[in-house]
Amino acid sequence: MYKYILRRVLVAIPTLLGVTIVTFVLMKSLPGNPVEAMIGERADPQVVEEIRAQLGMDRHVVVQYTGYLWLLCRGELGRSYFTNVPVARSLMQKFPNTLRLAVAAMAVAVAIGLVLGVVSAVKRDSLADRFSTIVASLGISTPVFWLGLILIIVFANWLGWLPAGGMGDGRLSFLVLPAIALGTRSAAYIARITRSAMIEVLSQDYIRTARAKGLSTLRVNLRHALRNALIPIVTLVGVDFGSYLNGAVLTETIFRWDGIGRYAMDGIAGRDYPVILGTVLFGAAVFVVVNLMVDVSYAWLDPKVRRR
Amino acid sequence: MMRRLIAVCWVVALCGCARAPDAPNTLRLRLDADPSTLDPARIVDVSGGEIAGKIFAGLVRVGETGEPVPELAATVAVSDDGLVYTFVLKDEARFSNGRPLTSADVRYSFERLLSPKTASPRRWVLGRIDGADDYAQGKAGSVQGIETPDENTVLLKLEKPFGPFLSLLTMPNAAIVPQEVVEAWGEDFGSHPVGAGPFLLESWQRDVRLVLRRNPHYSDGPKLDCMEYEIIPEDFAASSEFETGNLDILQLSPADIPRYNASSRLRSLVTSHVGLNTYYLGFICDRAPFDDVRLRHAVSHAIDRQKIIDSVLAGSAVVADGPVPPTILPAADERQAPGYDPKVAIRLIAEAGGAPETIGLYLSSGREELSVCEAIQEYLRKVGLDVELHMLEWSSFKDAVSRGEPDIFYLSWWADYPDPENFLFPTFHSSNWGSAGNRSRFASPEVDAAIETAVAETDAATRADGYAQVEKLVVEAAPWVFLWHRKQFVAVQPRVVGFRFFPIRSADRGVQLSLREG
Repeated sequence: MYKYILRRVLVAIPTLLGVTIVTFVLMKSLPGNPVEAMIGERADPQVVEEIRAQLGMDRHVVVQYTGYLWLLCRGELGRSYFTNVPVARSLMQKFPNTLRLAVAAMAVAVAIGLVLGVVSAVKRDSLADRFSTIVASLGISTPVFWLGLILIIVFANWLGWLPAGGMGDGRLSFLVLPAIALGTRSAAYIARITRSAMIEVLSQDYIRTARAKGLSTLRVNLRHALRNALIPIVTLVGVDFGSYLNGAVLTETIFRWDGIGRYAMDGIAGRDYPVILGTVLFGAAVFVVVNLMVDVSYAWLDPKVRRR
Repeated sequence: MMRRLIAVCWVVALCGCARAPDAPNTLRLRLDADPSTLDPARIVDVSGGEIAGKIFAGLVRVGETGEPVPELAATVAVSDDGLVYTFVLKDEARFSNGRPLTSADVRYSFERLLSPKTASPRRWVLGRIDGADDYAQGKAGSVQGIETPDENTVLLKLEKPFGPFLSLLTMPNAAIVPQEVVEAWGEDFGSHPVGAGPFLLESWQRDVRLVLRRNPHYSDGPKLDCMEYEIIPEDFAASSEFETGNLDILQLSPADIPRYNASSRLRSLVTSHVGLNTYYLGFICDRAPFDDVRLRHAVSHAIDRQKIIDSVLAGSAVVADGPVPPTILPAADERQAPGYDPKVAIRLIAEAGGAPETIGLYLSSGREELSVCEAIQEYLRKVGLDVELHMLEWSSFKDAVSRGEPDIFYLSWWADYPDPENFLFPTFHSSNWGSAGNRSRFASPEVDAAIETAVAETDAATRADGYAQVEKLVVEAAPWVFLWHRKQFVAVQPRVVGFRFFPIRSADRGVQLSLREG
């Protein structure tokens, strides 16, 4: 297992290097000029040249790229063109916020999705199944920005139960609405996947055997059926969780959540190259780690995988 | 397993819980963007200027009537020839760390702004001082025109008389900074600013919140203990926070106005003010088709600006008669911009040899920008001009305009300091072509000479006459279609006392504000 993990980590290095090359090329191909945005409305051409030289933008693009790689080798990600704050420091400050939101959203998604999916599969073709299907369809098709605004209007403006947005110095009440807004779509997908995986498992012989042994329905459904249906669900959770950890731009913007997504978005809008490169590279690394964790969890969930 | 997972989720969700301390006598405000930096030498954004206006102080500040008045200086004297400005500093002038402020700090701050090492985008603020260019180009070790004969006196000598010089010194970029703090923080001074303004930076959680506390060393200090700024980029979220009482003052977005007007409670909290801004359609004047002044006038005559204000902007603007807002240069009949007259437009197009092929109108992405430009496109279609809209994201838009790519572009100009020169020299003088401000690439020796004559005048009334003359020439040459000056709507909670509207946000020191008890 350890060899497997080490091999996966080594394979990640060329992957991340490739990510930096693609991002660098795309970024330099974008129209727009960060110096224009930095300098405001009265840009003295001499100052423009000085700033370009300071940022190394007057050098050949290959020299700029190798300079960036050298920076990475020193464990740095550069400084934001606009705020002059080190990108690594900003990422370290914002990642815990993104992680909190991602965990909370995923908790909402897993809790709602599993309940709806299991009920739907166990009570197949019943009223509960139809209700669950409708709820899941609504969840999948509702845009997150719309859901976010509706949640704010109802729970913050009308009822006054929860804050409309912000970080609230870590108070849990500020996490509720963004977690629901972000987690709803995943909940809907998890419900659908759980339903189909559970239906397949429930038709297996070993489930019939378990029932014949006199085990309770709850024990059969949760212990024997759900556990064996978990692999596709874990895959989905892994993919969604990885994307949440890269920042949920819309949710973070609507709820003023100080996360990676908003940071990346501001970087892209201002052509803040170090921020763009830093967030993309960080996001890719997060995906590599999450995928590795998902693969390792397969082995834990399924002894057949472990033996291979 | 599931129990363990849920427990982990709660731990992660709860970590960092800490309730903010209740802070009485604290004004709660909104910033629509996090300041990029609070280093005066590097500030170009409105948010940064607003906060710097509280933390820093300059030799002069903007007074009640928009005129520069002494701040750190006790007295300001100008020589008869308009070349030498003498500032005597207040004895009690101190930075917020308690250290007395001296003339050496003024020299250090000004030379830092001009230094090539700083590469300040706002070097031009002090560019009129004698020897500033040589110093900025590394040809001199100090700025010849800055003299500090004693600890309390600063002499600034200009190359040529420049009437609006004191107005430029009101900008946050000309604020005085303590050398030892700047050098201690180095590149991070912008995140740990220390100035001599009425407030000091208590805390700054980037992209979340910024808190200012009263500076005990500021003479004539503020009545508030704290000002707490929430960073709220979304207008919807900001108005929601105001309506739930979490913000005390809010500048409303145009989209909020109809809703606030519909509610008698909210309407009573709102005041409107014409801002120091001019929205315009800029022509690229150095090439066909808009190198022909007749076509430029034709476009001006073809657009019913009042109709667009009423229908698209919900009345939130006043028609512009020229480039300078009437609040700082009252309108005169002779500078009336061309009014709506499509027949004249059609005649002028014919005289210019007929309508050009498709005209490219560039705009930055935004719902309001698009609505305005669609209306303009329709007006121009009615007089036979075929217009194609090019909507670009802001950075690309600015880049395209700076390169002279559009035929016409929709943009606005907002004041940095309250002097008409700010609406004339950067925008129409030929020395500022392209990204330096004259984005229309307009060049007229007559206008250049008129601007230079006006700004050299030290008597304010005579200078105003000179500006009026420049405006008249610019309106005749029509490098822009002068569209409108936007109104700004501000909602203020009843508990706030002493609110005053500052069209330039960096000019607001916040010292006049207080809160009603109870």
